[in-house]
Amino acid sequence: MLEAIIVDDEQHCINRLQKQLGAEAPDIEIIACCKTVENAQQIIAENSPDILFLDVQLGNQTGFDLLAAMKKIDFEIIFTTSYDNYALKAFKFSALDYLLKPVDKDDLRRSLQRLRQQRGLKDTSKKIDILFHNFKEGSETSKRIAIPTVDGYTMLDAKDIIRLQSDVNYTNIYTSAGKKITASKTIKFFESMLEGNDFFRVHKSHLVNLKFVESYSKGKGGHISLVDGNQIEVAIRRKEELLKRLT
Amino acid sequence: MLQPNKIAFYLLFILLIPFGAFGQGNEIDSLKNELKGHSTMDTIRAGLLIELANKLTYFDPNEAIPLMEEAISISEKTDWALGEALSHRQMGNLHYVLGDNIKALDQYQKALAISHKTNDRQLQSSLLSNIGNIHADLKEYDLALENYRSYLTTSQEMGNRADEIKALSNIAIIYNDTERFEEGVSYLEKALSLSKLEENDLFIAAITNNLALAYKKLDENEKALSLYLEAAELAEQINNKYIEASALNSIGKIYLLFNDYDLAETNANKALALSKEIDAVEWQSDSWEVLSEVYEHNRKLPEALDAFKKHVQLRDSVVNEEKKSELTRKEMQFKMERQQAVAQEEIKRQQLVKNGYLIGAILLLVFSIMGYLLYKRRRDALEKRKLAEFNAKVAETELKALRSQMNPHFIFNSLNSISDFISKNDIEQADDYLVKFSKLTRSILENSEKKWITLEEDIELMKLYMQIEGLRFDNKLKYHVSMDNSLEPDNVLVPPLILQPFIENSIWHGIAPKKGGGNIDIRIAKDGTMLKYIVEDDGVGRSGQNREEKKTKDSYGIKITSSRIDIINHLKNTKGSIELMDKAEGFRVEIKLPLELQF
Repeated sequence: MLEAIIVDDEQHCINRLQKQLGAEAPDIEIIACCKTVENAQQIIAENSPDILFLDVQLGNQTGFDLLAAMKKIDFEIIFTTSYDNYALKAFKFSALDYLLKPVDKDDLRRSLQRLRQQRGLKDTSKKIDILFHNFKEGSETSKRIAIPTVDGYTMLDAKDIIRLQSDVNYTNIYTSAGKKITASKTIKFFESMLEGNDFFRVHKSHLVNLKFVESYSKGKGGHISLVDGNQIEVAIRRKEELLKRLT
Repeated sequence: MLQPNKIAFYLLFILLIPFGAFGQGNEIDSLKNELKGHSTMDTIRAGLLIELANKLTYFDPNEAIPLMEEAISISEKTDWALGEALSHRQMGNLHYVLGDNIKALDQYQKALAISHKTNDRQLQSSLLSNIGNIHADLKEYDLALENYRSYLTTSQEMGNRADEIKALSNIAIIYNDTERFEEGVSYLEKALSLSKLEENDLFIAAITNNLALAYKKLDENEKALSLYLEAAELAEQINNKYIEASALNSIGKIYLLFNDYDLAETNANKALALSKEIDAVEWQSDSWEVLSEVYEHNRKLPEALDAFKKHVQLRDSVVNEEKKSELTRKEMQFKMERQQAVAQEEIKRQQLVKNGYLIGAILLLVFSIMGYLLYKRRRDALEKRKLAEFNAKVAETELKALRSQMNPHFIFNSLNSISDFISKNDIEQADDYLVKFSKLTRSILENSEKKWITLEEDIELMKLYMQIEGLRFDNKLKYHVSMDNSLEPDNVLVPPLILQPFIENSIWHGIAPKKGGGNIDIRIAKDGTMLKYIVEDDGVGRSGQNREEKKTKDSYGIKITSSRIDIINHLKNTKGSIELMDKAEGFRVEIKLPLELQF
């Protein structure tokens, strides 16, 4: 039996989630529901739950405030939010799970399934670290990412990534330290996460950190040479946009 | 036979200096005193200076020059044009007397230029005459003639007959000097008749003498002789020994031609006596020449030789004088030519400089124009690009506006459906619908910000939309989406939700009114450089709807889609289109868009 606490400042959201959990996950017991950061902090300290369903917006505070106040995080977190692009991006970076309200029962079922698989990997506090790091570091370039791999997560500074190459449903990530990480996500996932951080999709199979581009040689679409000596083909349709970004 | 000196034969009428120029010393002293008493630099002082200089002309021209310089400066400062002109003329007279023709000419020219301001015709007339004389002296006959002619015109206009006569005579002399005797004769005749009208015996005598010479040159000796006789007689009457002596010598020469040696001798002797009286060396030489021939003929050879010697001696002294003046003239001419050459050089130089400036200016102009044209071309191109960018921006904004316009339309349709579920008390369905609706809304909100999304994403959206609508119609709606194998859905870019209004149409107006449900078939294919969507339904079709409904409800979404395609056509310069077709059963829409690929 897993013990869960729901933190949400709106009663109808609590009710709905309670009802859905009751129907979908009979092995989860909701031991408490909190509406404020202070209350939640106290309840969590007293009960040390296994799972926390945490709303992002809590009155004029946020779920992040609650996490920041916690001494240690030894529970799984599933964020809940209605519509907050900024938060969603942050979750993607840190590979933290989230549910969009109103919660779809299929999505809830998938989230719980993931949670049961990952429980015990002790990645949560690392992910929270990344989340806080990214919030503290305002600049886009020094973002940290939790990269989902086959056997867990690898934490990376975005600025250390030279390039990403698609390999069917996997993505190979090449770092400035010469490491290669195979991520269990498509290149599109990373593109949507990293776009705007000097990363540019030069080709269907290639996402490149423009900071590491050494030169561009003309051609139909042309090629770019990276500092690690690799030459990457540029798609014709990306050429114009690329040159705009490079100059 | 010796060539006679022309100067000796023609009696020039040169009115350079008023006769009063030969003033007395006391007159000069009184003027000097007057000047001392009037030191103010005004026109009165200038006038006194000119008068004094005039008196000094033959007396002490060198002393007069600084006086004129002062007079010129005062006249300039006081803006007294007449004084200035008079001063320059007097300065010219002084230089002429000092033998500097060039400086004299320069001063006369200045005086003439200034005299135009004063309108003093008499002054101008005298200046023209003087200028003509100097040119004649310098043997510049054309220039001399030109000035004499102006002199003639001016004197005629003024009605000054004395000047007119002088002008005519001087013109005649130029003609005779250049051996155009017929013209010379005609001018002299005119001068003579005017002189007779004037009853001026001196003029008549001198002109008659000149006329006689001209006729002699034309070999009309008889006519010449009678004119010489007339001249000699008249000269005797008015006691002009100079003219008389000249005429008598000429008479003697003609008698020699007629072999009448006695008469020749008489006349020559008379002329010799007269010329000795007036100390006219040139005439004495002539007389001795005639006498020498007479003695020779009379076989008085020693006398003949003596006479010839005297002739030659005297002639040489005249010729020497003449030579001297010739030399001076030559010198002058040389000076003048040099001056002219220098002036010419200067003019050339200035011309060169002027040309240089002109070429520079033209080059500058050409470069400026070229520069401007280049600048303009660049500017135009820039403006054109800016305009194009601006147009694109406007189009983008419009497109965005259209996208956001569509959302509320769809949202309220869906809210109606949820309301419908709730009113039917189907809570489970309402919740299911709501969750799907919120997902779709989220997607639409995210994607409507984008100009283009992948076909894959768009199809997902369409499916979600049709699922939601399917729920509403109690699963009466079935749909099928198919795609060309040649298309990569994750690489094809499409404007989001372009099909939505047509699917909505098919559902609401085709399938909803149809008993037993219906199908929507969506096919996506590549058509050359275009992407072709076909949305087909087997609903009641347009014939099944009443006209009002068709008009109002169909048009809204379709109008928006049509505008979106127009803008895309404008931006991409393509020919996207919408085609609506009625089928025997149902409705068919074909939409063509430019095939855009991500990579």
